[in-house]
Amino acid sequence: MEFAEFYESTRDDCLRIVLLNVGDRHLAHDLVAEAYTRAWMSWRKVRELEVPRAWVVRTALNTHVSWWRRRRHEVVLGNHDAAMPAEQATGVSGDLLAALRRLPARQREVVTLRLLLDLDTETTARVLGIAPGTVGAHLHKAVATLRAAIPPHDGQEISK
Amino acid sequence: MNANDTVAAVRDSLTTAKDSLAGLHMNTPLDAIARNGRARRRWHRLAGLTGAMAVMAGTALAASALAPSGHPASQSGHPVSHPRTAQLAAWTVAKQANGDIKVTIRQLSDPSGLQSTLRADGVPASVTFLAQHDPSCRPYPMTQGVFKSIYQAQNAAGSGTTVLIIHPTALPSGAGVQIGAAVGQQAGDRGLQQVDGNQTIHRPVHRVAARARSASIRVGLVYASQQCTGS
Repeated sequence: MEFAEFYESTRDDCLRIVLLNVGDRHLAHDLVAEAYTRAWMSWRKVRELEVPRAWVVRTALNTHVSWWRRRRHEVVLGNHDAAMPAEQATGVSGDLLAALRRLPARQREVVTLRLLLDLDTETTARVLGIAPGTVGAHLHKAVATLRAAIPPHDGQEISK
Repeated sequence: MNANDTVAAVRDSLTTAKDSLAGLHMNTPLDAIARNGRARRRWHRLAGLTGAMAVMAGTALAASALAPSGHPASQSGHPVSHPRTAQLAAWTVAKQANGDIKVTIRQLSDPSGLQSTLRADGVPASVTFLAQHDPSCRPYPMTQGVFKSIYQAQNAAGSGTTVLIIHPTALPSGAGVQIGAAVGQQAGDRGLQQVDGNQTIHRPVHRVAARARSASIRVGLVYASQQCTGS
């Protein structure tokens, strides 16, 4: 696969997944652009990976940790252009997305790969370089945390 | 609810969240990704070349021989073609084939030279570095999105170099670019940034003249005027 084809076919999905994780459109856009730039620079290596789009998402999220610290880049905006939280656009409970962002890094990676990128346990384990059982353990803990943040349906049946 | 049901419920909620972002698109063109990648490769090669030169010839001797007073190595309209000279100048301005202006700042010296070079390349500019903020310059209101369309910045970690790629055609009508700097603790003083209006601040460690001091490059938009930006 050529880089152009890869970029066109995966960029929107990667952006949405990163946005759910970081909650800020501008930041998500920057992180994904940075990840694709690195993918372009290392395309010969990245193209051989089992799931190149997982590499892009992981790179974007790892870059998020050190982005400001490493590049020393700070934008002072006052109130001109406040970042739009992802939950305003998704219509999904902000509690769920906030809980996702509060997960420990490894749990969040597992949730992102297993549930958002829809990889199976074995592939997730290979991408992360951990045992399949460890993937299951992280997913179990993460899902328990996230499940508590999902509000009950308004029309749920009430037992008497 | 068993474990599988719980996973399914969370998966459904997250998938719903992702699907509801269907209107969101990654609008960075492929060309921009490739351009950034190529620029980064060039930068890595130049950095490697500079390191090798420093070992062979000695940084101080080379600097005194090739950049005696911090003057630009490459003048307006002449892209850098001689890496040795470019790496040792205080700053470099290179006009790209697509009209973008690439400003590489290594030392905070000769701000007036940088200012006149930028103006000659069609960028209304006010450059003060460490001098007092020009009172004739008023901050131009803008958003982060406008900022990003006007320029990109790259700081090479640990190198004390800031690279600004300015897109003159993206400048709002009546606006110019202001480049300043702050040293020491002021570099991280958020209050100072807010007083100065809308700015993006870059914080590599720059050498201030020949002394090693911490400084931050500050970039902002100002209302263009004859007094402030020369236009």
